[in-house]
Amino acid sequence: MTNRHLIKMVNNIGKFLISVLVLSVLVFTLSRLAPGDPLYAYYGERVEKMSVEEQDQARERLGLQAPLFTQYVRWLQRAVHGDFGISYQYKTDVKEVIAAGIVNTLLLGGLGFVLIFALALFLGLFCAWREDRLADRVVCRIGTVTSCIPEFWLSLLLLLIFSVWLDWLPSSGAYAAGGGGSLPDRAAHLVLPLSVVVLGHLWYYAFQVRNRLLEEVRADYVLLARMKGLSGRRVLYRHCLRGALPSYLSMMAIALPHILGGTYVVETVFSYPGIGKLAYESARYQDYNLLMVVSLLTGTLVILCNLTARLVNERIDPRMGVRSVSAGGEVRRL
Amino acid sequence: MDVLTVKNLSVSFFRTEGEIEALKNVSFTLREGEILAVMGKTGCGKSVLCKSILKLLPDIAKIKTGHIYIRGEEITGYSEKQMQGLRGRFFSMVFQNPMTALNPCMSVGEQIGEMVRLRRPEFSGRERKKRVAELMELVGLDHAGERARQYPFQLSGGMAQRCVIAIALAAEPAVLFADEATTALDATVQAQILELLLKLRERTGMSIVLVTHNPGVAARTADRVALMRDGELYRIGDVEEIFDESTPN
Repeated sequence: MTNRHLIKMVNNIGKFLISVLVLSVLVFTLSRLAPGDPLYAYYGERVEKMSVEEQDQARERLGLQAPLFTQYVRWLQRAVHGDFGISYQYKTDVKEVIAAGIVNTLLLGGLGFVLIFALALFLGLFCAWREDRLADRVVCRIGTVTSCIPEFWLSLLLLLIFSVWLDWLPSSGAYAAGGGGSLPDRAAHLVLPLSVVVLGHLWYYAFQVRNRLLEEVRADYVLLARMKGLSGRRVLYRHCLRGALPSYLSMMAIALPHILGGTYVVETVFSYPGIGKLAYESARYQDYNLLMVVSLLTGTLVILCNLTARLVNERIDPRMGVRSVSAGGEVRRL
Repeated sequence: MDVLTVKNLSVSFFRTEGEIEALKNVSFTLREGEILAVMGKTGCGKSVLCKSILKLLPDIAKIKTGHIYIRGEEITGYSEKQMQGLRGRFFSMVFQNPMTALNPCMSVGEQIGEMVRLRRPEFSGRERKKRVAELMELVGLDHAGERARQYPFQLSGGMAQRCVIAIALAAEPAVLFADEATTALDATVQAQILELLLKLRERTGMSIVLVTHNPGVAARTADRVALMRDGELYRIGDVEEIFDESTPN
């Protein structure tokens, strides 16, 4: 038993490392194949005044002259030791640049994710329970409309109403300028971006929950559950939710990076200093080292989330742990 | 006294294309402790009959006319809440396909235990476990303790049907509906399950409505047989009486 768990764990860790390695190769190669000159990130407009020799020297210094493969090996050797190089644009250690933004993004994206996760489940359950009645229809219509509004437009609309007209909430940043960022201050700065993140994604997931649940409601086992004398609501909570939960959890696990990424636009509109803004800038200005770390962070998150989703699912729905091996032990192939 | 009486029951499905009459003026009685086989071709309304007595039909189906009595008390107008009190107490049901009737995400012990908890809320956790084990033994599932932790996908069709029957029995019903309970099973298992139903009737004294399209099953198990065609119950009588004559079906 323990032996099997150990093998499974080593297997999972191995897969994880290989995935991250492949991802780093891909991002490394693709970012360097993309058009654009990283010197611009480093020197800005001054590049145009530099002679060709000076430009070559600068490239040499940044290690951009060597063949792609050599560059990658060099990067990898340093990365293994925790040295990810400097950001061309910010001229400081990449880790420092990231550290400054990650807390803000985690706060916005993380809080958004938790809210979306809980509210979508609640709304989905509610709509499934009231299927096709007035409440369900109203929620469905409102949800479709809000999820169709582009995030940048919604952001601007909320800014106009709550910051400009009513002057209730601050319009940009993560905390008031000069202030250390007290809790009420940070919360006030979070309200608008957070609302946009939640409103933009909520209905999509709530609708998925609703439809997944309604699929379950039509399953045969529901008849037996009702035969037991359970009320419709308890059948939904006790039986159907359990069937719908695995796919919801794996969907949400995969959605975590997506929702964090969805903060990109929101961060830009609200000038919110986070990873999303960094990712966008690093890709735009060929800030290779920064781009690598941001991509690897996001990629690692995706892979970890998928892994977690699978492990959680196996606990909820035991059929998933069997991996195409039937009761008799023979392997079934499609 | 008759445990269940159905008088002039008519049920229709109202679809956008129009009304479909599923049951036309069906009347019958079920006596205490008897097995009544309801026979007829697929689609003749056998299942609808069971489900309309239990009010488990979809929303588009409506009882147009008729009365349903249990032990003399009319339940035709019962609300969903009142019906919930009857389901899993007075009535219970065994379904055609045991593999889909059980919740795939719950261990069978949990599913039987749920019924025990609903029927016997006064039981402590230990008493409930004991009752589940008893029920599993009663329906012929060996190694109850281990088996209770298994999930439906780990069971064979016959074993799964025994679990469904165990759930039905946990309700300690007065009337058990067995809707094509043996159809999805192979012949040997089919015989075992019928044997089991007979044995359980002896022990508990419950009445059984055995829905089947198989005359062999009806002849072997039932006391009386009701014949259905196109939503009409056109003949009902003792098993010898029905099978001695050559029937038009």
